[in-house]
Amino acid sequence: MINRRQFVLASAASAGVLGAGLSARAQELPAGYPADYKAMLEKARSEGAVSIYTSTDDVQGRPIVEAFQKAFPGIRVDYNDLGTNGAYNRIISEAAAKQVGSDVVWTSAMDLQMVLVQKGLAEAYKSPEAARLPGWGNFNDTLYGTTVEPVGILYNKAQLASFKLPKTRAELLAFMRDNKDALKGKLATFDPEKSGTGFLFFSNDAKTMPDTFDLVRAFGATEGKTYGSSGAMREKIVSGEHWLAFNIIASYAIEWAAKNPALGYILTSDHTAAFSRVANISKGAPHPNAARVFLDFLLANSGQSALASVGAPSIRTDVTSGLNLTRLTEMAGGNLKPIPITTALLEATEPKNRADFFRRWKEALRG
Amino acid sequence: MTDLVVNNVQKWLGGVQILSGASFVAEKGRIVALLGASGSGKTTLLRCIAGLEQPELGIIRIGGTTVLDDKAGVALPPEQRQIGLVFQSYALWPHRTVFDNVAYGLKLRNVPAGEIKAKVEAILEKLGLAHLAARYPDQLSGGQQQRVAICRALVYEPKVLLLDEPLSNLDAKLREEARFWIRKLILDLKICAIMVTHDQAEALAIADQVLLLKGGSIVQSGTPLEIYSKPETFYAADFMGTNNVLSGRLVRTSGHSDMIDCAGLSLAGIWRDREPPADANSVRAVIRMEAISVSPEPSPESAPFDVEGCIYLGEKWEYRLKRGDLRLRAQGHEPLGAAIAHCRIPASATWLYNP
Amino acid sequence: MSLAAQAPRFRATVILTLFAMVAAPAALIIYQSFLSAPFFDEAARPSLEAYQFILTDPEFYRALWTTTLYAVGMVVVAVPLGGLLAFLITRTDLKGRRWLEPLVLVPMFLSSIVLAFGYTVAVGPSGFVTIAFRSVFGAAPWSIYTLPGIILIGGLSHVPTVYLYVASAMRRLPSDLEEAARTAGASVWRVSLDVTLPMVLPALVFSAALNLLLGFETFGIPLVLGDPNGILVLTTYIYKVNTIFGAPTYQVMAAVTVFLILITLPLVFIQRRLLRHARRFAAVGGKGARTNLLKLGAAGQVIALSIIGLWLLVSVVLPVGGIILRAFVENWGEGIRLSEQLTLANFQRVFELPSLSRGIVNTILLAAIGGAVAVAFYLVVGLAGHRNHGRTGTLLDYSVLVPRALPGLIVGLAFFWLFLFVPFLVPLRTTLFSLLIAYIIVGLSYGLRIIQATLLQVAPELEESARTAGADTFRTWRDVVIPLVRPGLAGAWAMIMIVFLREYATGVYLMSAGTEVIGSLMVSLLTSGAMDQIAALSFISILLTAVGLTLALRLGAKIHD
Repeated sequence: MINRRQFVLASAASAGVLGAGLSARAQELPAGYPADYKAMLEKARSEGAVSIYTSTDDVQGRPIVEAFQKAFPGIRVDYNDLGTNGAYNRIISEAAAKQVGSDVVWTSAMDLQMVLVQKGLAEAYKSPEAARLPGWGNFNDTLYGTTVEPVGILYNKAQLASFKLPKTRAELLAFMRDNKDALKGKLATFDPEKSGTGFLFFSNDAKTMPDTFDLVRAFGATEGKTYGSSGAMREKIVSGEHWLAFNIIASYAIEWAAKNPALGYILTSDHTAAFSRVANISKGAPHPNAARVFLDFLLANSGQSALASVGAPSIRTDVTSGLNLTRLTEMAGGNLKPIPITTALLEATEPKNRADFFRRWKEALRG
Repeated sequence: MTDLVVNNVQKWLGGVQILSGASFVAEKGRIVALLGASGSGKTTLLRCIAGLEQPELGIIRIGGTTVLDDKAGVALPPEQRQIGLVFQSYALWPHRTVFDNVAYGLKLRNVPAGEIKAKVEAILEKLGLAHLAARYPDQLSGGQQQRVAICRALVYEPKVLLLDEPLSNLDAKLREEARFWIRKLILDLKICAIMVTHDQAEALAIADQVLLLKGGSIVQSGTPLEIYSKPETFYAADFMGTNNVLSGRLVRTSGHSDMIDCAGLSLAGIWRDREPPADANSVRAVIRMEAISVSPEPSPESAPFDVEGCIYLGEKWEYRLKRGDLRLRAQGHEPLGAAIAHCRIPASATWLYNP
Repeated sequence: MSLAAQAPRFRATVILTLFAMVAAPAALIIYQSFLSAPFFDEAARPSLEAYQFILTDPEFYRALWTTTLYAVGMVVVAVPLGGLLAFLITRTDLKGRRWLEPLVLVPMFLSSIVLAFGYTVAVGPSGFVTIAFRSVFGAAPWSIYTLPGIILIGGLSHVPTVYLYVASAMRRLPSDLEEAARTAGASVWRVSLDVTLPMVLPALVFSAALNLLLGFETFGIPLVLGDPNGILVLTTYIYKVNTIFGAPTYQVMAAVTVFLILITLPLVFIQRRLLRHARRFAAVGGKGARTNLLKLGAAGQVIALSIIGLWLLVSVVLPVGGIILRAFVENWGEGIRLSEQLTLANFQRVFELPSLSRGIVNTILLAAIGGAVAVAFYLVVGLAGHRNHGRTGTLLDYSVLVPRALPGLIVGLAFFWLFLFVPFLVPLRTTLFSLLIAYIIVGLSYGLRIIQATLLQVAPELEESARTAGADTFRTWRDVVIPLVRPGLAGAWAMIMIVFLREYATGVYLMSAGTEVIGSLMVSLLTSGAMDQIAALSFISILLTAVGLTLALRLGAKIHD
């Protein structure tokens, strides 16, 4: 969520950065870019368009699209917000029909992105920006992390004024257990059955944190409600229907809290997981060169700045607008634990593993 | 010249035979009435001639062209049959003026505009509608609509004019007028016309030939006079006119006229059925109401009846008479004063039939 | 080829084309349900896995049970209320019934997803009304996110469908029957129970069957209102199955759809039967019977107007008012003064975002121009079936029923595949034509019924007289039938426009960049919870519907069957 002023600033900023970067002085490529990049850029221009399949909604996606178009005026961006499943659905269907329509796939469904690689629907490409990314954010030069988005808590300040706010996961568990009756119906979290993002958060928690199902059990005991999106939870926290939502996308929470003084956010200091929006180039992309240019732009300082300015923190450490990996790690008390982009993500797509997880989830929720 | 041939037309609808072999011919300049009760198949027969219904069997020729022949697989659609059809509801197109309604058939025949105008104006003039040419159908009276419908069906000089109950939507006065002018018009134009009606008076007044239909076949065909005065079946006799119907036993003695015994009364009559008696114990007598003479005084061959009542009908009185179980309806010009009246039933008017 | 043979050939071509359009998606879905993987996947094998999965999934049974409760509950709420409103408005001297009638129909024209959002923002736990109520009374004793809440809302929003059928049956009733009972000393209510009710029973039964069907296929209301408490119906189960598997699981979606068809198809058939029966029944009452209105009396007027007023408040004012308010604020809740929060920011954002502003333009194009194309298409189909008593006429009858039994979501998905895999359709996929074709199929039974009703108003003799005058079938259609139905077509266009405006499920899988439509955008925005944009879009949707409805009334649309 972003207001108009922020957005204008963001586009102006990114356009400026770019002016210094790729386009205006296209003769001089940034450091680290291969010499034949210019030739590729020419090809990309003659392709004329790049088609993005994404789960990032238009509000968040618009600044980077505008920045890109300003930097590369000859390349039109067809931006398709299809949702995680919608994007996946379309990619596999189009691949089967031999009518690939996507150049770049950019979604938050880290697991489905890995499935695309496994199915051979993603094309490897060594981005000149790859060196700027942390190791966990690059899978075989095929899947690239573009953001680092922490998982955290959003709450209504007025409603929780008389409570001691939890600062760690352990405190969150205690907070729920101790105030079981007072918090009845007042808590919210992501629904892993309804949302791929919710599933990613909780299944990752279950793998990495032993207390995960205790937390779910305590939440179930307060008769908390589950939602399919962070936005839906925000709505309920703002109105006071719920007081606190945990395991929601905290980078949004940070934005909302900045805009609405009634809201607060928490990144638990003992452990804050983070996910990443992952991008890849489609195999058989109709505009392969434009796809590469867009992917590079997503990872470049300018693109990352545009993203960070609208609440999608940069996966790089050197981006100054908005939040970046370094800053977030500090905010999480040094315990930021991004989900690495590895084949381990595929475990979550195994029907048996999923069934196991849902069984445990339901059991815990029932108490 | 024979303009219409209908030969053995048969039609079924959902397993029920609604036309069972109708055959007749009609000549130029003559009017044929298809007369029958509702459900007799008369309208279906007309629609089969028009091509609006498809009979399963039969041959129909219009003006020398075969328009239907089941064996040869010929079944021309209505638009190729050279007919004019006047619907019961007139079916004037509400979105066209009187002129355009009438002109449509000519337009379809690619007649030049000038000629269309002349022809339409001429026929409207002939039927006294010239001043209404620019009006829409809903601005016309029922009688005017009917005349427009007739103009529309006649203007392109069809081989056969078909009329489906053309008078039924008119009020009584107009109807009597229409009987006359329609007949005159058709005779003037010397075309062949087929008219469907359930009203015997209408059929008798307009037609040169009446076909009486029952259950999808023609029971009797003849001139109006023949149909009315020489019915050959009980159905035909009973359908026409206002009748007394008596059931009884046939008594035949050679050298004497036939007698019918009914409810204790023995009446002399004549056998009119085209078939010989099937069962002498069960025959019917049909006596037209107007054939019975009633008088307060007895006369030779008269029989006394109790007077149950008299009904005043305007130009005449209807008498309700009774003798034992036998009841009769008769008519006269005076009310009956006494409790007893004497009826004379001529043998020539007592027609005997198989039931 | 003689002229005579052209008409049957035309009829057959049109009807077979339509049949193909209708049967292709249905066949594809059924085929998919018996495979182990997406049909286009090389690993796909014939399999019953999908059925095995749903038949052993407790969630499926729960969804099936919930759906049944929802459908039955909706009937229980909507039928008596719709019947009562119809009686009051058509048979009594109720004050203001003339302007009440269009108001009563309003919920029917709104997309159910918009209505559901309206209820969320008005009387949801954090809705405007709830908060205001809570601040005065301390607590708000209702919850719309429960099954009874959803059923009540579903039922209330379907009152107009009942109203339509019952009101038209009541209009056809001769009033002497009621008058006879009145003169025999019965009160208005006795008359309605003893005389009117039995006479319109077929219409009531028909609308009950119709609502049962709509209940089984309902998507928008449980999607929005059932979500927070995890209440699933079959359609939302289909929509959700994906996340259970972590990836689109078409075979399972298809298998659930087949189940849904097994439930809805018999309902469609029963309904068709009932409709015929109802028409026959109504015909006995005589056409154009003069109706004298029952006198309600002062107390009766007050009671009747209160019932209607309360219903209007709950079914129209609350959701529509909620949307209007929510569209103009970003923050609200306890302690926030709404008057200080009024903003146009939500709209600004909608117009700034290319996909959303395109969605608005596309929706208008699809509704206005697409609606006209649809009317032309339905007219061609209608003519092909007009007085067609042959085998193709029967085929048409049955073809129309198929899309009724399929949820719009699935029709959209099936068309997405058809446009992807059928070579000659490929170029259309990323254009609005793909949506238009799917919309035409989804709206087929409704649209065709309007057209057929209009065509049937042309007395057969008007056509026959053209034939006997020498016009062939086509000429008759051109010169007689079409000119006569033209005013009806304008009304039909407006009605179909409204249907296309409110459609949301069909485009969910079918739309792509450049072919967004408002309704489906709202469904996809729902997954990211962008209520600000949803509210603004809902508001725009209501606005467009209002324009469409005004146009429809201007053009003399026949809302009645």
